[in-house]
Amino acid sequence: MRSVIVTGGSRGLGLSIGTRLAAGGLRVIAIARRETPEFSTAAAAVREAGRGALHFRAFDLGETRGIAALVSSLHKEFRPLYGLVNNAGIGTSGVLAIMPDEQIERLIGINVTAPLVLSKYVVRHMMSEHAGRVVNISSIVASTGYHGLSAYSATKAALIGFTRSLAREVGPLGITVNAVAPGFADTEMTAELGEGERDKIMRRSALRRLVGPEDVAGAVEFLLSDQAKNITGTTLTVDAGNTA
Amino acid sequence: MSIRATITTQFEQVAVEQERTLASLADDLKLIDCGLDSLSFAIIVARLEDALGVDPFSSDQAVDFPVTFGDFVRLYERFAK
Repeated sequence: MRSVIVTGGSRGLGLSIGTRLAAGGLRVIAIARRETPEFSTAAAAVREAGRGALHFRAFDLGETRGIAALVSSLHKEFRPLYGLVNNAGIGTSGVLAIMPDEQIERLIGINVTAPLVLSKYVVRHMMSEHAGRVVNISSIVASTGYHGLSAYSATKAALIGFTRSLAREVGPLGITVNAVAPGFADTEMTAELGEGERDKIMRRSALRRLVGPEDVAGAVEFLLSDQAKNITGTTLTVDAGNTA
Repeated sequence: MSIRATITTQFEQVAVEQERTLASLADDLKLIDCGLDSLSFAIIVARLEDALGVDPFSSDQAVDFPVTFGDFVRLYERFAK
């Protein structure tokens, strides 16, 4: 069974991705600081269905110095590591001029440094297998602007640049690297948007609706599938036509 | 198999896979002149972690990338102890 690591996999979008991949027959290892009741329920449902698997490993991705050891232990237990979905991220919003420096550093640490370091160690194992898939969860704000999200947008744009260059670097070894750029999805991270804000986003979208976590999970599943073997270095936008 | 023999085997195997011409692996051979590229070294380091259980380049100790093949072997011998 192919093993896929999903960061931030205990809730929200990460849990939707993990559940979807497990239902498709993959062995998913969700990484997050702590297991949630929603994750336990989903893992039980996967066991019940008897297809795929949904495991949990507690880890704080802010602790980048521990990432090498984490990957080493995951490799020993779940080898070969076929996929990595860099989904974990924090969505701190705020006007840059008054955003505390520590918040900016934390955003970059969790949203950029952690996925880069994790990819470094996971891709090494993919290299020796001559196969693998990396999917980075970016956002449409990497290419469009949104008031109050300048620091967050910078981190998501960083992942697009990372995706393109890493795809060049590891392509000769049969590893693909892609990004998914969700629009404003109906998740906890966007829950703080007011009703007016959500309506405005919907009105601006070609399809007049927000995307759901299942839409993003479907895109990730596709990029991990054999059908996507010739797609690398690209960004798949899933935004109900918000940027069309 | 000794650490040196394991390393030599990996250099030879990766050179074949990556279609590179490998120079004769003497201790004073500079790695930059051995015929492998940086991607090949990344594969070798990953495979040596599997084979020897150590990765000197991800340890907490700061390690400079070795200059010669002999330095490379000695680095792994030191960490594998």
